[in-house]
Amino acid sequence: MLIFTLRRFNLFIFTMLLLTILSFSLSFLFPGEQLINLTGQIDASPEQLAILADEYQQQSGLLSQYFSYLNHLFHGEMGYSMTSNLPIATEVLNRLPATIELTCVALLVAMFFGLPVGFCAAIYHRKLPDNLILTIAMVGYSIPVFWLGLLAILVFSIQLGWLPSAGQISLLFEIEHVTGLQLIDILLSDSPYKWQAFQDATRHLILPVIVVALAPATIFMRLARSAMLEVLDTHYIKAANAKGLTFSQIIYRHAMRNAVIKVIRDVGLQFANLVTIAMVTEVIFSWPGIGRWLIESIYQRDYTAIQGGLIVLSTFIFIVHIIIDFVYAALNPLAREPRNGKR
Amino acid sequence: MARDKIYQEEEFPTPLMQLWHNFKQPPVVLIGFGCFLFLIVLAVLANVITPYSSVENHLDHLLLPPAWSDDGDVSFLLGTDNLGRDMLSRLIQGTSLTFGLSIIVVIASLAIGVVIGSLSALTTGIKSSFLNHFLDVILSIPSLLLAIIIVAILGPGLENTLWAIIMVLIPQFVHITRNAVREEFAKDYVLASRLDGASSIRILRYSIFPNIIEKLISQATLAQSAAILDIAALGFLGLGAPIPMPEWGAMLANGVDLFYIAPWTVYLPGLAILFSVVATNLVGEGMRHALKVRKEN
Repeated sequence: MLIFTLRRFNLFIFTMLLLTILSFSLSFLFPGEQLINLTGQIDASPEQLAILADEYQQQSGLLSQYFSYLNHLFHGEMGYSMTSNLPIATEVLNRLPATIELTCVALLVAMFFGLPVGFCAAIYHRKLPDNLILTIAMVGYSIPVFWLGLLAILVFSIQLGWLPSAGQISLLFEIEHVTGLQLIDILLSDSPYKWQAFQDATRHLILPVIVVALAPATIFMRLARSAMLEVLDTHYIKAANAKGLTFSQIIYRHAMRNAVIKVIRDVGLQFANLVTIAMVTEVIFSWPGIGRWLIESIYQRDYTAIQGGLIVLSTFIFIVHIIIDFVYAALNPLAREPRNGKR
Repeated sequence: MARDKIYQEEEFPTPLMQLWHNFKQPPVVLIGFGCFLFLIVLAVLANVITPYSSVENHLDHLLLPPAWSDDGDVSFLLGTDNLGRDMLSRLIQGTSLTFGLSIIVVIASLAIGVVIGSLSALTTGIKSSFLNHFLDVILSIPSLLLAIIIVAILGPGLENTLWAIIMVLIPQFVHITRNAVREEFAKDYVLASRLDGASSIRILRYSIFPNIIEKLISQATLAQSAAILDIAALGFLGLGAPIPMPEWGAMLANGVDLFYIAPWTVYLPGLAILFSVVATNLVGEGMRHALKVRKEN
């Protein structure tokens, strides 16, 4: 387990190194002055710029410039937004929780629906349910997400009027910003309208989550189906069959657990995909998350914000990736230590 | 297919012929392949077969619904948009932008990716390990985020979007080429031609590429469906093709404000994207299935 942890840690360091180099070089690549791109101080006077240049060690070589940039990053200083003049760190902290909420709920929903349906398809391999599920999955991951979002708004918000179409919560409710995760903040608050607020926030969450979760759910269906087919083909299933266990016993006790492990290994890779979908969905549903902020920063040529957003969003994805790796290792002894058994 | 053995001579189909033979078995895949070819024909002949120009305004026919509706006009089969432009013409022109350009994008990144991938498969040691890690990092950044950053550097516009998507797609081709070439290099037939004195480049050209080409094509179909969705998504976000261009994503963005009074301006481009992505995915699915069948035999 120690080696496993060290390896993951090593990978994390290497990844962060590459990412920071990437974002540092972006400040050169973006149009305009490099120092201004890096700090976001567009209105600074020449004296202030001189102080900043000193702070970021502009006179020395590239390597020490990079290290001073790293140093600033470690202290949580990512410069100032070129449009709002607020520190990027504050902007990000205000918006990241909304994205975390949306993506994590969507990931759970996608797994919760995708896995059982995929298993079902594998059990009825090459029969009607299997073909039906495969067809739905094909359409599901081919559908353009912005179109799906618009259709969902038209049908469920405008025509049927069941669910709200934009935002995170109705403006009537005043919720104190504690963790930033709306649902948890509501539960922590002592407002007398706590439950109404909670209901309202949940209603706002439903449509975006379904839109984000659809494509990953269909991918999980396919992953779960092929994992289950692989497991059902193994010798221990045949042995269990020969022992005279019933079909449901085999599925629930033996096949399902082993198939779930195989799927979990690939969840990390799908998460990056899910975040991409979430970025577009945030724009459509006016969700106050980091994806919408990033896309707006491009319209406004806010290069400091793009840089900061890249670092934060990718770090978030890597952290989720590593957490999923650890969950996988915790569930599967084979991945932890080779001596636990042969593959 | 039964083949009568009249002659003693044995005939070995090339890997690509074998692939085609397995590929055409399931009818669904053939339908998908037909749709794919249909889209290619549309994309090539777009300028010839459209009834109107994609930017021509018909000011007395604004927001005309499709012909099957009561208010429709059969000379505008799929209706018109808010500036009186014929939807059918715009959709067909859009095929050559969204679908046709996605093919070009994939071919370009395939070519670059294969070159880098096969060169990196020939190197060993710390260089290749660094490249491996580097690719892992790039592959785990969301493709749209990467494309957005590249667009931010280059500035918005259709051409810059295409460069961005080419760059985003390269790593996966490098990855798959590298692994496939490595796998083939370990096989005995490569050793045999190496003992004959063939150089690495020659082995790559004559022994390895014919054997991995179908893997590359199947990856290319996956990449193409991603490319279509990315071009359309960037167009929709206003970072890709400018609004007057009949690119499907930009058309959708143009129709959003009219969604409630003229839903067809949003339905139709969306359906076009869905149709082309499903056709591409069906072809890719058939390809992977055919590869699997061949491996099992």
